[in-house]
Amino acid sequence: MGKKILMKGNEAIGEAAIRAGCLNYFAYPITPQSEVAEYLVKRMPEVGGVFVQGESEVAVGYMIFGASGAGARVFTTSSSPGVSLMSEAISYIAGAQCPAVFVNIIRGGPGLGGILPSQGDYFQATKGGGHGDYHMLVMAPASVQEAVEMVMLAFPLAEKYRNPVMILGDGLIGQMMEPVEFPDDLRTEPTNKDSWATSGMKSRGSTERNLVKSLYLDPTQLNDHNLNLKAKYDQMKAEEVRYEPYNTDGDYKILIVSFGTMSRVCRTAIDFLKEEGIEVGMIRPQTVFPFPDAPIRDAAVKESCKAVISIEMNMGQMVEDVERCLKGQRPVHWYGKCGGDVPTPEEIMEVIKERL
Amino acid sequence: MDINLGGIVIIVGNYGSGKTEVAVNLSVHQRLAGKEVRIGDLDLVNPYFRTREARKPLADLGIDVVLPPKQYMHADLPILTPEIAGMIRRPSELTLLDAGGDDVGATVLSALTDHLKGKTPHVLQVVNPFRPFTESIEGCLKIRSEIEAASRLLVTGIVGNANLIDDTTAQDIENGAEFVRDLAEKSGLPLVFITAEKSLMPKIDKERIPCPILTIDRQLVPPWKKAGRFSP
Repeated sequence: MGKKILMKGNEAIGEAAIRAGCLNYFAYPITPQSEVAEYLVKRMPEVGGVFVQGESEVAVGYMIFGASGAGARVFTTSSSPGVSLMSEAISYIAGAQCPAVFVNIIRGGPGLGGILPSQGDYFQATKGGGHGDYHMLVMAPASVQEAVEMVMLAFPLAEKYRNPVMILGDGLIGQMMEPVEFPDDLRTEPTNKDSWATSGMKSRGSTERNLVKSLYLDPTQLNDHNLNLKAKYDQMKAEEVRYEPYNTDGDYKILIVSFGTMSRVCRTAIDFLKEEGIEVGMIRPQTVFPFPDAPIRDAAVKESCKAVISIEMNMGQMVEDVERCLKGQRPVHWYGKCGGDVPTPEEIMEVIKERL
Repeated sequence: MDINLGGIVIIVGNYGSGKTEVAVNLSVHQRLAGKEVRIGDLDLVNPYFRTREARKPLADLGIDVVLPPKQYMHADLPILTPEIAGMIRRPSELTLLDAGGDDVGATVLSALTDHLKGKTPHVLQVVNPFRPFTESIEGCLKIRSEIEAASRLLVTGIVGNANLIDDTTAQDIENGAEFVRDLAEKSGLPLVFITAEKSLMPKIDKERIPCPILTIDRQLVPPWKKAGRFSP
């Protein structure tokens, strides 16, 4: 690890991509993530990398597709409306089984919404956004340091699964400053790119053509293709679930499920309640697809636990996943806000006390 | 050694150097010293964590905070309220202007050139050597010349704001002070003051600090932390 420096989340995400060996960045500016581009426009030339601003997020999505199809490590960053525009390309990239990393620093929605923090794109990130049966592997950081680690992990995971990976951060993750340390440079190349990249048969010493496509007109072939994709998503569910428990050793009456910066407000609320003698546990999904079904179920069915509250900066999206994995074994409640005023620890304490 | 600033003070610096935290705390420090203080938020480039976040505690101390109209408070639009020009034409005992980061954020100052004619504002460059692009003296000098070109103003002094927020140690402050002392020497500008969070003050070796220290009560905090309480 290097020395500590103070960075905005957006800057740290840009630096993390470089340290992961990604020297291709295409993007279109939008608040609250424009600092990624502002940072990389200075940094990419220093490391021999490339930043190209597309004429729109639609174009950027396909620039990512093209670069990935050619075997380059590539990423983009955007915020909610921009990610909607990229969603068509994301579906094509998943269909063509190309690796790429997308970062969404969520702002309020729907439509233009507002520029303040939100988690309103949970459904878009975890259940589609684009068309067809595909999933992205989605990681949700709760600190600038974790954003760095997740970005650096995103590239090898995208290549392992030949599938788009998304970093889902709310506006605060992009805008707040925290001290960070970067792991030593990886600067690796994708090891399996011969399996998809249109790099020329001669250059890779192969007699097989690599075809980047998502079109399968034959119904049997298309079904088989989707079964292959499904097998990858099932493998993600088996191998890539990441989560962090907080205060789950004691006999808590309430279990909170919360992700991203919202979970940090909940953590403070849990600490304050502990001082009042009230025990509350929390599971923080670090991957929201695959969702930590089993850890949440196990924590919720603990004898002391009477109810589960999903706390999110939206109108109740992740709560559906929490209900799905609990299958009615405990009552599931939701609390959230999505205008941009992040709930305070005191507000969360009240919400919890009402359910005791 | 105490900080004594008057007239028009413009705070500039690279993106994320801590200009707003410095401006807010400086306004409080000077207000508590008995001065009449107005502070204007000129940050047109940063969407979150701006002077406007601290408007209530400042107003409670009798500091006049000049902000864009309320309905545009959360807009990412470059709105410069006309009151700023008035602040410059009729400055209070201390008129603080908190500009946005880098040359891009300082560009707004060039729109005020006519109003600044005949005045001699202090233009203070805030430096945090723990931030990217200002880890070296050369980096700080480069940003200074970019800001001067964009703002059409000359920097008149250096402010040291070495910190890693909650991870800052007394040694970081002491080393940071040495860094800005060298920067001040290289650039031929005075080192006006450095900053340190209140809890670190007793641990700092004052012998190693060649200038006054502004105590910081952190105001720009994420929602899970409490802002510091200003006290005399």
